[in-house]
Amino acid sequence: MMNRRNFVRLGLGAVAAAGLVPSSLFAVDFRKEKPDAWKAKTPADAIKAIFGTDKMDKSGVSLKAPEIAENGAVIPITIKEVPAGAKTVAIFQDANPESAVAVFTIHPRSVANGISVRIKMKKTGKVTVVADVDGKLFYDEKQVKVTKGGCGG
Amino acid sequence: MAIKLRFKAKADGDVVKVKGLVKHPMISYDMAKAKGGEANFLTYMKAEHNGEIVFEASTSQFLSKNPVVKFAFKGAKSGDSVKISVEDLKGEKSSKEFKIK
Repeated sequence: MMNRRNFVRLGLGAVAAAGLVPSSLFAVDFRKEKPDAWKAKTPADAIKAIFGTDKMDKSGVSLKAPEIAENGAVIPITIKEVPAGAKTVAIFQDANPESAVAVFTIHPRSVANGISVRIKMKKTGKVTVVADVDGKLFYDEKQVKVTKGGCGG
Repeated sequence: MAIKLRFKAKADGDVVKVKGLVKHPMISYDMAKAKGGEANFLTYMKAEHNGEIVFEASTSQFLSKNPVVKFAFKGAKSGDSVKISVEDLKGEKSSKEFKIK
C-alpha cells in the first residue's frame, strides 16, 4: 500500500489520468489552451478551433437572447439549458471582428443551466451557444437585431 | 489597482446562485485602435468553494464593460464562502471571497 507521501509525489496529473481526482481541481483556461480560437473570425472556424469539429445537432441547448437590442454594448445572453453531461459550453457570434465570446468549463459541481453574461455586438447578428457532450456537439442560435452598435466605435 | 469584484451568493436548497459584477473597462482591440489606447479585457474568471472550482470561464473582448455574470453551483450552504478570481489580458489578477447567504 503506497504511503501518502509517495501518493502525493505521483503528481496530480498522473492521478487525474487514472480517474482518481475530480476535475474540479483542474483549471482550464481556453485562452491559453486554444489561443488561435480567439482570433477566428467566423463561428464555424471558432467552433472548430475550440471543439475540434463544427458538426452539431440543433437540439438540447436553449439560448435566451433579446430579439432587438437597443444597446449593442450590453446584450444579456442566458444559456437556459444544455444537455446533461455537457463539459464545455461556449458562446459565439458573427457580428464582431472575431467570433468567440466565452467558453465555460462545466465542473462536477457547476450548474450549467442558467449561466448568464452580457456581451457586446457591433451590429445585428447571430449568437450561437454550443455544448460538448463527450465530443458530440449540440447548439442553439438566436438572431439579435442591434439598433445601436456596441463596440464603442 | 486591483480589479474590483462585487458579487452576491445565495443558497436556494442545494444550489447556490451567484450574481456579480467585475469592474473592468473591457477595451476591445477595435476600441483601443479608435481611441488610441491599449486593449485590455478580462480573459478568465473562476469561482471556488472549499478549494474546488465550481464555475470557470475563458472570456473575450466581447463581454460588456463592467461585465455582469450569473451562474450557480451545488454542494454549498449558507455561511460558506465562495471565492471569485479574475484575470485580464495584461495579467492583472484579483480575488475576493463572498459569504453565501
